[in-house]
Amino acid sequence: MSEGFEPRIVGFFCKWCTYAGADLAGTSRLQYPPNVLPIRVMCSSRVDPVFLLTAYLRGADAVLIGGCHPGDCHYIEGNYYTRRRVALLKNIFETLKLDTERLRLSWISASEGPRFAKVITEYTENTKKIGPNPAKNKIFI
Amino acid sequence: MAKTNNKTDAKSMKGTVISTKEGLSKAITDFLKQAFEKNCFDTILIPVKVPANDSYAWVLLKDPALLDDANPLAPIMPVQGGKALSSILKHGVTDSSIAAVIRPCEMKAAIELYKLKQVKLDNITLITMDCPGVLPLKDWFKNPDEGEKKFKDIIKKWDDKDVRPLCQICDKFSVPLNEENATYPDLHFGVLGCSDGTGFVIPGSSKGEEILDTVGLTATKEVDKWESKVNEVTTQKRKKRSEAHKALNKEVGGSKNLPVAFALCINCHNCMRVCPVCYCQHCYFDSEALNKPPEVHLMRAAQKGSLLFKPDCLLFQVGRMSHMTLSCVSCGTCEDACPMSIKVGQVFSMVADQSQDAFNYQAGRSKDVPHPLRVFEDEQELDQVVTMCKDILETGEHK
Repeated sequence: MSEGFEPRIVGFFCKWCTYAGADLAGTSRLQYPPNVLPIRVMCSSRVDPVFLLTAYLRGADAVLIGGCHPGDCHYIEGNYYTRRRVALLKNIFETLKLDTERLRLSWISASEGPRFAKVITEYTENTKKIGPNPAKNKIFI
Repeated sequence: MAKTNNKTDAKSMKGTVISTKEGLSKAITDFLKQAFEKNCFDTILIPVKVPANDSYAWVLLKDPALLDDANPLAPIMPVQGGKALSSILKHGVTDSSIAAVIRPCEMKAAIELYKLKQVKLDNITLITMDCPGVLPLKDWFKNPDEGEKKFKDIIKKWDDKDVRPLCQICDKFSVPLNEENATYPDLHFGVLGCSDGTGFVIPGSSKGEEILDTVGLTATKEVDKWESKVNEVTTQKRKKRSEAHKALNKEVGGSKNLPVAFALCINCHNCMRVCPVCYCQHCYFDSEALNKPPEVHLMRAAQKGSLLFKPDCLLFQVGRMSHMTLSCVSCGTCEDACPMSIKVGQVFSMVADQSQDAFNYQAGRSKDVPHPLRVFEDEQELDQVVTMCKDILETGEHK
């Protein structure tokens, strides 16, 4: 990997849990890498796999989708659907031999500020290790 | 084998013998004529030769005399039958009953569309046949007369060398045998393994049996020979299919090869428009969501160093996969419609096989098994789904 590579991670966070968790991490003054570009969605199930793909194919080094823990969805069952959709996308990535490491789904609740910081730190570290997204400079993508 | 709601135990399948001396197509149309005269159904949806004699189109027949021009085993498939059926029955059922004479993959597409609420199958009699495949449209239009002859040969010898690449590796060319929950066609015409000039009509539901009764036939003959031949060919095709997919995976897999495989794509979206299970009225990839003002393109070009126009070809392909791969019936209509001869159908079928395996689902096999993305399981999630989230769930400090 190139020296000083700072990955850009696109995060889709559910308004009720993960986004509130990010808020808590901030108000608790927890330190975590500034590499995530957060996008607030009303529910993680609002995220069409195509959104994740768009971010990935347009050069995001990694994509993170954050939702409530299973059973805690504000809309009762949204995150179960998300889980299946992301698993499907992961399966497509595996078949086409694309980087599944650049896809991640995390359950982070509104009370889990420290966990939010931890997930972001780990994910950023991991993305740094695997290097920049090769799609970034490819013309024919 | 009298069972209701389209389910039968494969082992107890019985049929009645018919003569196919003048070809399977003629045998089917003759049977349909008889059933028509006895008022088994009011209309028939069937491929009919167009007046110019160079193509086939779906026609909803009211007049049995027109059956002379019909060909249930048309050599080409310009429009997938599932799509044709959906365009008739999307907005509800009619009082009159319709017999749809379609191929196995078209029936599978119809079942998928039924689950996606795009077709109502209440008053439909589904009639299928052992399918040898269809010719690629590009080959066909070079010389339709020649194609017609070639296809007669293909039916006779059951030789798959000249049919569409996906038909060559199709392992679902007949009815599903020995499978639980499978939905059967009301009537199936089987010719595999039968001695020359004969074939079976096999009812798959009580509706099918009633029709046979009305016509004056009874399904009492054992169909072992047909079954064992179908099983044999299925095994061969499965092997061929997995080999073909493996080779294809080497060719298109990886972030280097994938853009190359789709480099010819001109973003015409033909594959999506002809796809039977791509049912959205307004496709995301046709929407304004992807039409951006010039500054956005300039910004992307500046970031990347260069930008392809039209952009997002690969996004369209993989994105469409993520939308419909679980419903993909591997019919190959997309590949036929591709003006650039991209192996789009083969890639989609490879991805579809993998993803349907992961969700333990087979597109179009059963009316009763729900589409995996429309349901969820709380406690016992599928292995694949749980593995996906495992690293997260284990380190989770929740509660």
